Amino acid sequence: MGGAEKLVFGPGALVFIGLYLVSMIGVGWYARQRRQGNSMADFYLAGRSIGLGVLFLTLYATQYSGNTLFGYTGKSYRIGFLWVVSVLFMFSIIVGYLLFAPRLVALARRHGFITPADYITHRFKSSLLSLLSTVLMIYALCNYILAQLKAMGSAVEGLTDGSVPAAHGIIFLAVIMVIYETLGGMRSVAWTDVLQGIVLLVGFTVLIFIIPQMGGGLTTVVEKLGQIDPAKVQVPSLQGCNTWISYILLLGCGAAIYPQALQRLYASRSVTALKRSLALMAFMPLTTTLIALVCGLIAIVVLPGLAKGETDQVLARLCAVIMSQSELGYWLVVVVFAAVLAALMSTADSALLSISSMFTHDIYRPHFRPDSSEEELTRVGKMASWIIIALLVWVAIGVDQTLVRLLELKFEVLIQVAPCFFLGLYWRRLSAQTALTGMLVGLGFALGLTGAGRLGLTWAGQPLVWGFHAGVIGLFVNLGICTLGALLFPAQKNEAS
Amino acid sequence: MTDNEIYPELIEEPRKVRWVWCVYLILYAIAIPWYWPKDYQGPLVAGFPLWVAVTLISVLVLALFTAWVIFTYWQVREGEEG
Repeated sequence: MGGAEKLVFGPGALVFIGLYLVSMIGVGWYARQRRQGNSMADFYLAGRSIGLGVLFLTLYATQYSGNTLFGYTGKSYRIGFLWVVSVLFMFSIIVGYLLFAPRLVALARRHGFITPADYITHRFKSSLLSLLSTVLMIYALCNYILAQLKAMGSAVEGLTDGSVPAAHGIIFLAVIMVIYETLGGMRSVAWTDVLQGIVLLVGFTVLIFIIPQMGGGLTTVVEKLGQIDPAKVQVPSLQGCNTWISYILLLGCGAAIYPQALQRLYASRSVTALKRSLALMAFMPLTTTLIALVCGLIAIVVLPGLAKGETDQVLARLCAVIMSQSELGYWLVVVVFAAVLAALMSTADSALLSISSMFTHDIYRPHFRPDSSEEELTRVGKMASWIIIALLVWVAIGVDQTLVRLLELKFEVLIQVAPCFFLGLYWRRLSAQTALTGMLVGLGFALGLTGAGRLGLTWAGQPLVWGFHAGVIGLFVNLGICTLGALLFPAQKNEAS
Repeated sequence: MTDNEIYPELIEEPRKVRWVWCVYLILYAIAIPWYWPKDYQGPLVAGFPLWVAVTLISVLVLALFTAWVIFTYWQVREGEEG
């Protein structure tokens, strides 16, 4: 990286970022003062009291992660306009909600669900199915947090020109995150999400006004791109369109059942607030993912010739160019950097809280301490948050690369739980045994094909079969088994409630 | 038991309105660029190649339609709205 491309902040900017981080602990402390008791519903769902403004911003800040800023800009740098699929698949998450949320929310409000497994236990009455679903969801969320932690390390290292190593940055930010999370639970996570969501919105607004002006404007950039690398401007092939469908299914089914997102559905004060929040969320890909796409495209011309491994730094390098141009540009980049930290921390804290609730409520209580009080469970949940984040920080700072590779899979695993929600809420014939068989066989296909993909069945670095992701093929098999099983071996009347 | 007995708080839900899903199918079929000629780029519309502009406009229409569907077909009984 050349000197002009380095992203280095002065003392004023570092004080601004530091105050921003400390303010989150302040929010956590305030949330602790506002608690209504020591119940799990109060700690993990903010007493089901989240109104429209907070609900929308916490959904937004949680759904748009560091990957949107770094991963998506890098991906559009590599494949050009083909990555416009990201706008479509992020929108599809809302369509996914429409397919099951009305019934799930009705049940959650009536029966006081806290975790996704509460629904699975209620519907299928199978502790084995609930346990397997919980384990798969915790596994997927660990991956999610790990990716955010690694990105935090890179961001801090870049910001300080390497004088603060990535490992120190990861530990510092993780400690701040876990402090405010254990202080106030969902209340502090949601309230810090408000702060983080606003910073994220401001950051993307700044990018809208600055980035498209670079390289002579978007039209000039795309004309140049059409000449130097036409494949990045052309329509995808038919197999490429299969991959679009695969992405839509993967995100539309997978991201819609993210446990931290489901818990936000449970935590809404009213159905009206939830409906309005989801309606607003339907438009956010056009103000967020689309901007990440444009940043990546502009960078192809402004920062040509980046190696594949460097493409995830596209946004940081564009920011460095803006910083070097004017004092205003410098401070705008400080805001964008705050947005980067907001995106990373808001996603990781929500996932951590969700893991803590699932471990305590779905594993610790039913399998180890059935008679434990709500107060004890909340205390165990807080301890679990510290232990889980310590383990993930240990993995993220690169102690063991094998563990990092094991945690690479996310949606491939998570999506196998989707039929329990998408079919289970509407098809009383679906039994626990069938759902469990479908989940296990689907998981086997997803993992087997991913392994096979690494042996040669690859496209664009991903294990794909006819353009479809391994997890989606696994989902097709899973759905097929659920359909056949429900027709041939329907659930007994006392099983499906 | 009928659905109304199991979910008494729900008056209407989007999943049960078939024509809504037909519209989604059509809009997704327009948004996914399978129907353009091979290697097509097209003229630029506001800086985007025509096929990308069509996809983005489709997403905007999908978002507007979804907001309308949420407010029109996700109806719960009074008292449940909160």
